[in-house]
Amino acid sequence: MIEVKNIIKSYGDGESRFQVLQGVSLEMEDGDFVVILGASGSGKSTFLNVISGLERPDSGEVLYDTIDIAALSDNELTSFRKENVGFIFQQYYLLPNMDVDRNVKMGADLAGNKDYRTVIEAVGLGEKLHKYPSELSGGEQQRVSVARALAKKPKILFLDEPTGALDERTGRQVLDYICKLKNKYNFTIVMVTHNGNIAEMAKTVVKMNSGKITGIYRNEVLKTAYEIGW
Amino acid sequence: MMIGIKNASKLVGISVISCCAVLVCTMFLNFYLDISSIEDEITSELSLIFYNAQVSTAKVVCLVSGGCLLITSVVMLMFYIKHYIDTHKKELGILKALGYSNLKIAVNFWVFGISALLGTAVGFGGAFLLMPKFYALQNEDKILPEIAIRFHPTVFLYFVVLPTVGFSLLAIGYAWRKLKKPVLSLLKNDFRTFVKTKKYREEKINDASFVAYLKKTTLRSKKTLTFFILFASFCFSSMTQMSFSMKELSSEMMGAMMLIIGLVLAFTTLFLAVTTVMKGNTKTIAMMRIFGYSQKECAMAILGGYRPVSYTGFAIGTVYQYALLRIMVDIVFKDMEGMPAYQFDVPVMLISLAIFILIYEILMAVYSDQIKKISMKEIMME
Ligand SMILES: Nc1ncnc2c1ncn2[C@@H]1O[C@H](COP(=O)(O)OP(=O)(O)OP(=O)(O)O)[C@@H](O)[C@H]1O
Ligand SMILES: [Mg+2]
Repeated sequence: MIEVKNIIKSYGDGESRFQVLQGVSLEMEDGDFVVILGASGSGKSTFLNVISGLERPDSGEVLYDTIDIAALSDNELTSFRKENVGFIFQQYYLLPNMDVDRNVKMGADLAGNKDYRTVIEAVGLGEKLHKYPSELSGGEQQRVSVARALAKKPKILFLDEPTGALDERTGRQVLDYICKLKNKYNFTIVMVTHNGNIAEMAKTVVKMNSGKITGIYRNEVLKTAYEIGW
Repeated sequence: MMIGIKNASKLVGISVISCCAVLVCTMFLNFYLDISSIEDEITSELSLIFYNAQVSTAKVVCLVSGGCLLITSVVMLMFYIKHYIDTHKKELGILKALGYSNLKIAVNFWVFGISALLGTAVGFGGAFLLMPKFYALQNEDKILPEIAIRFHPTVFLYFVVLPTVGFSLLAIGYAWRKLKKPVLSLLKNDFRTFVKTKKYREEKINDASFVAYLKKTTLRSKKTLTFFILFASFCFSSMTQMSFSMKELSSEMMGAMMLIIGLVLAFTTLFLAVTTVMKGNTKTIAMMRIFGYSQKECAMAILGGYRPVSYTGFAIGTVYQYALLRIMVDIVFKDMEGMPAYQFDVPVMLISLAIFILIYEILMAVYSDQIKKISMKEIMME
């Protein structure tokens, strides 16, 4: 379980100091599917970075079961990320000079996962093992980044606007792959998005506005990527 | 418009290298020319022998260290310019897309000449400042008649005017060639060059770990950089060891000069190469850090591959300087009396090696520490 307690995070100094997160608290169950919705600039990405251990909050706690990752040292935080989390970003951020196989291996090696090719096949890229990112479409690149994140067998998968750069059809496809893999491996999902429709796929929906959580609700019925609007 | 004086100021590397090369070469060439002109004034047998020795030394040093220095600085400067233009490809593409003609954009790169001019001018001037002391030392025992320092316009032409014009033209030419490509390929990050070399794919290193693989690709994808790191340690090794032997074989002044030039050249090269390696891999490192690779693993993957390269460079440098001095003593100065015997100096080698390892490892530790400062924001800034 992830328990976030009263997170405060600011950027800048002196006059230009700006509080991006103004005391955010939230609880997430293991195996949960959380979607964070909010306007641009409301602090969603910052929140995601803080709870995933990429950035440290100014104050507050981020408890994974009993460990407060906000209090870990740099090295401890690195090994925390290594063992627990996977990331998917809007811009994919694949390594341009490595083929699909190598890009996924980057994640797989961290978990000592020798069987990572099954994940590549699971996202439908078995045929493109030796293609380079510049030779793939946006949707395919995002699927590589899904495979890369999941090959390291994360307990929690963090996604920041994973469909932001994709069209509807490819966006649905990527989400569908993610859901299928979630059913297979049962990791927790925390996803930031602009697209309110995607919230219908999630168990828990969190709404953010100006650095605060303004509402949390739970869906009784979960829709699939092909049932939601776009 | 796009590349002004401010940008050229980033090219200090060019200035430092050309300054070093020009300093030594001017000094020896000038000395050689000046000493040649007093040949008629020499009367006694003894001074003639001494005179011949001086002329040969100037020749050998000028050819060997000067030539070696010149060639490498030309290669390095060419690489520097190429790299600079390659990394500013996007700006070129944007200007081209806006409708500027190729030549109009390319001509702006003449400013590279400025940094060459700066370096060569300082080197040339510096040589003349050092010359009185140098001439006096070379003729310490007053065996030869007074050697007057004269200014030779040809030396100025070769070492200042030509490099300045040459590097300006080179930069313009290279930029122009780059600009001939379609706009889109300038704007896009294209890694198809990797794809072209099919070897990369089919190699049987498939079971190697990601870090090991990254180490290999880093080494291979930029062969020029690997060469420079090899060269830097070669320079360090040969110049430091030679400078100690020079002390005995020739003069202290020459030894000291070699030492300084070796060190400056080695460190400029190493700094240039390693900085380029780090810059080229910032995004990879940022991504690895996000996924949970430790700082050590990143440093290993990106910099680790260069360790054997630089140690090899040291070994080659050791052999090179030994061979060079052997040739000099056994062949060039064979008939000269009073030439001290030359033997391979093991303690000097060991000391240089120890210093080399120390400096290299400290430098790598510094760079590795910089990895800590690379944050995920680095990759967000596209
Ligand atoms: N490193 C930083 N330094 C200064 N300000 C920052 C930094 N990162 C984010 N901010 C500011 O924090 C605020 C929230 O940013 P954040 O990226 O979390 O928003 P977001 O909700 O993810 O927006 P979007 O939907 O556009 O991605 C913004 O006003 C942004 O300008
Ligand atoms: Mg965001």
